Parts: sequence; structure tokens; C-alpha cells
Amino acid sequence: MQNNTVALAASLVVTIAVFLSVSTVATAQTAPEDAKDYRTAVMTSLRGHVGAASMHVRGIVEDNGFLAVHAEGLARGAQELKHLFPVGSNVGDSEALPIIWEEPEEFQKVMENAEKATAAFSEAVAGGDKATIGRAFRDVGAACRGCHDRFRVDQD
Amino acid sequence: MLLRYALILLSRTAAHRPLLQRFFAIAAVWSLMAFAPVHADDVVERGEYLIHAGGCVTCHTGEGDDAQPFAGGRALESPFGTFYSPNITPDKRTGIGSWSDEDFVRAFWEGVRPDGDHYFPAFPYTAYTGASRDDLLAMKAYLFSLEPVIKENRDHDLPLMMSSRRSAGLWKSRYFDAGRFEPDPSKPDQWNRGAYLVRHLGHCGECHTPRSRFGALRDSHELQGNPDGPEGEKVPSITADPKEGIGDWSLGDIEYFLDIGMLPDGDFAGSAMSSVIEDNTSHLTRDDRLAIATYLKSLH
Repeated sequence: MQNNTVALAASLVVTIAVFLSVSTVATAQTAPEDAKDYRTAVMTSLRGHVGAASMHVRGIVEDNGFLAVHAEGLARGAQELKHLFPVGSNVGDSEALPIIWEEPEEFQKVMENAEKATAAFSEAVAGGDKATIGRAFRDVGAACRGCHDRFRVDQD
Repeated sequence: MLLRYALILLSRTAAHRPLLQRFFAIAAVWSLMAFAPVHADDVVERGEYLIHAGGCVTCHTGEGDDAQPFAGGRALESPFGTFYSPNITPDKRTGIGSWSDEDFVRAFWEGVRPDGDHYFPAFPYTAYTGASRDDLLAMKAYLFSLEPVIKENRDHDLPLMMSSRRSAGLWKSRYFDAGRFEPDPSKPDQWNRGAYLVRHLGHCGECHTPRSRFGALRDSHELQGNPDGPEGEKVPSITADPKEGIGDWSLGDIEYFLDIGMLPDGDFAGSAMSSVIEDNTSHLTRDDRLAIATYLKSLH
């Protein structure tokens, strides 16, 4: 009898726990419009890092030690890219093309390119050799273009 | 060879010579330079550079990763039908391997095929007509240094009224003026170089200048953007107009964009311009990209 009570109590706890975790997931699920806005915000931050890094790379501003921060921001941001395109987030004024979800393997490749190129750029900045930094930054550009070419709405 | 020897001699001894002797040595080198035959490899190398400036590979290479460069087959969709670019590798039967220098120059200057028929202006001879003979023959030398690729040309897919090349002749008689580029002596060299690259070799107007109903470029609206560009894309203005064009870009911004494709705000261009940068403008010297920028900044 006592065993039964313990078992009942345990299963109740488990049930409540499962219910709670499910409801937590449910409330944490992002609305499509928010997912799109978040993607735009992250992309804008990456663009900012690229713009700032380019001014170092082109020698327009002196590197005061913060090029590494922008390079790191790019590399870390690029790791997030693959989480930014949940199914159903192609809403409103999204610039993402449907081909992203139609050809997920192809899209995966360009995401990986971006990760690799930005990681290499961050490494090059840590190494300090100007020519290597220049080449690595060019590769970052090629990775960005490679994706925008196929997977983003053409810009005017 | 002689020239190289003279240069080495000059560089080794110059520091120890009195001024007058040095002057004669320099004069000797100058005279050698004037008569030195241009080495064939140098012409091929110059031709390769000019082929990039001319944007040839983008149209003359088919789609897909395994497409062979310059072997043609790319579909160019236009409001007048679909054109397929021809094979320009030196294969004698399917390419241009049997063309003479005159054939090659005439194609660019006059828009005429070796057999005398007219080209449709999908081949932008309207722009290339300004190219110099030297530049064109260097481009030919480069193309002829490549491996021939056997690949048959595909017929254009055109509406009935356009299917005869006579229609191309008719079009040319109204809209095509043959003529070489004349530098404007009142403008700096850099501007003139830019004008030559933008208007003629680079044929930027083919996409960036709006067209009339019959497909002729509206020169009075040079590079002011084309609402109905290739493959239905809207192509932006690249004049110095601060609102419509790129007037708020610095010379350096334009140069850098043509080098790696970055817009001044850190974004990267996709679309057709991405191939133009990849295949062409990124291969040019910084000076030439700055010359292009200088010319664009002068347009209003």
C-alpha cells in the first residue's frame, strides 16, 4: 500500500515536471515575426563588425587593439547563423529566399563557409600579419557574397 | 633580352657613374625600350588583364561549377529573346580558332562576324567599339593561348521577327555608331582611363544605363540605373547623384567595393554584380579601380 503511494507520488512528480518543461518550451518558442526581427538584428550587428573591421584592414583607422574584438564578434556571430532561420520565419519583409528551406544542405554549406572564413579572419588578426589579415578579410567577403548571391533577396 | 641586360647594367653601375654618363646610360635604355619587340608572353599577360577589364568570362562561360571558361553557352535573357553566348576558345571549328586579327578587331569595332553577318547587340560591341586595336589584339593573344574547347554553339531563342540577322543590321543602322575612344584633353589622365574602362571595355552601361523601347542605351541617362535590367532585375544608378546614385561614397569606397564587394555600410552585394567583382574588377589594379571611381564620381 505504502509502495503504491510512493509510486503514485513519484509518477505525479514526473508528470508535473514533464508538463512544466513542455509548457516552458511552449512559452520559449519564438513567434515567426520575432525570429525574423532577431535575424535582421544579428545580421545588422555582423554588418557593423564587417564595416568597422574593414576600416582597420584598409588602414583608414589605426588598430587600437579593437580589431580583434570585431573579428571575434564576426566569428562568434557566424556561429549563430545556423540558428537564425527556423522554419516559418520567412515572414513580413524578410529578405530570406524560400530556397533556404528548400535546399537545406546547400544552405548549410554556405553557413559553414561563413563560420570557417570568420574563424580564419579572427586567427589572422591574432597573428598580426597584415597581408594574411587582408586575404582572410577578402575570404570573409567572399563567404558573405556567396550566400547573399543565392539565398537573399536582391538589393536595389 | 637586350633591354633586360641594359637595365641590369644600368642598375649595377648607376651609383658609381658621373651624372653625364648616367644620362647617356638612361638615354640608351630609353631608345632600346622604344625599339624592343614586345615579348609574346607580355602580350598574353596584358591580354589576360584586359579580358578581366572587358568582363568576357562572365558571359562566355556556361552555368554550373563544371562549365569550361570561355566555352560559351550562358543564357542571356532579354526582353528581345534569349541569347546564348558563343564559344570563344581557340577551337578552329566550334570556337574562334580560325579567326584572323582583322576578324577579331572587326567583331569588336563594327559588330560584324567573320562571314559578314551582323551580331545582335547582346554582344556589347556598342561599347567595345571604343577599344584600341592594341588592347583587342592582346585580348586575342590571350584567348588563343588557352586550350581549345570543342563545344558547339547553341542557337539563340528569339521571336520570329528577330530571328534573322538582318534585323540586327537594321538595328545597327539606327542605333550603332562605330568609333574609337577619344581622350578628353581637358580632363586628367585618371578620368580618361576610367572613362575608357567604364564606357568601353567594362561596358558598365549595358546593365546600369536605361534602354529605349528598341533596346538602345539612352546615353543622356548614362549609368542612371535600369528599372528593367538583365533577368528582370532592377539595376541601381551609379552616378554621383547623392540620393539615387553613389554620390555619398568616397573614391576609396568605390574602389574597395569593386575589389571585394563590400558596400560602405559593411554589407556585401549579391546578385549579378557579385560575378562582375569576382571575375573582373577584383583582378584589376587598384589604380584602374580608382580610375573607374573617378569617372563615376564625375557623372551627375
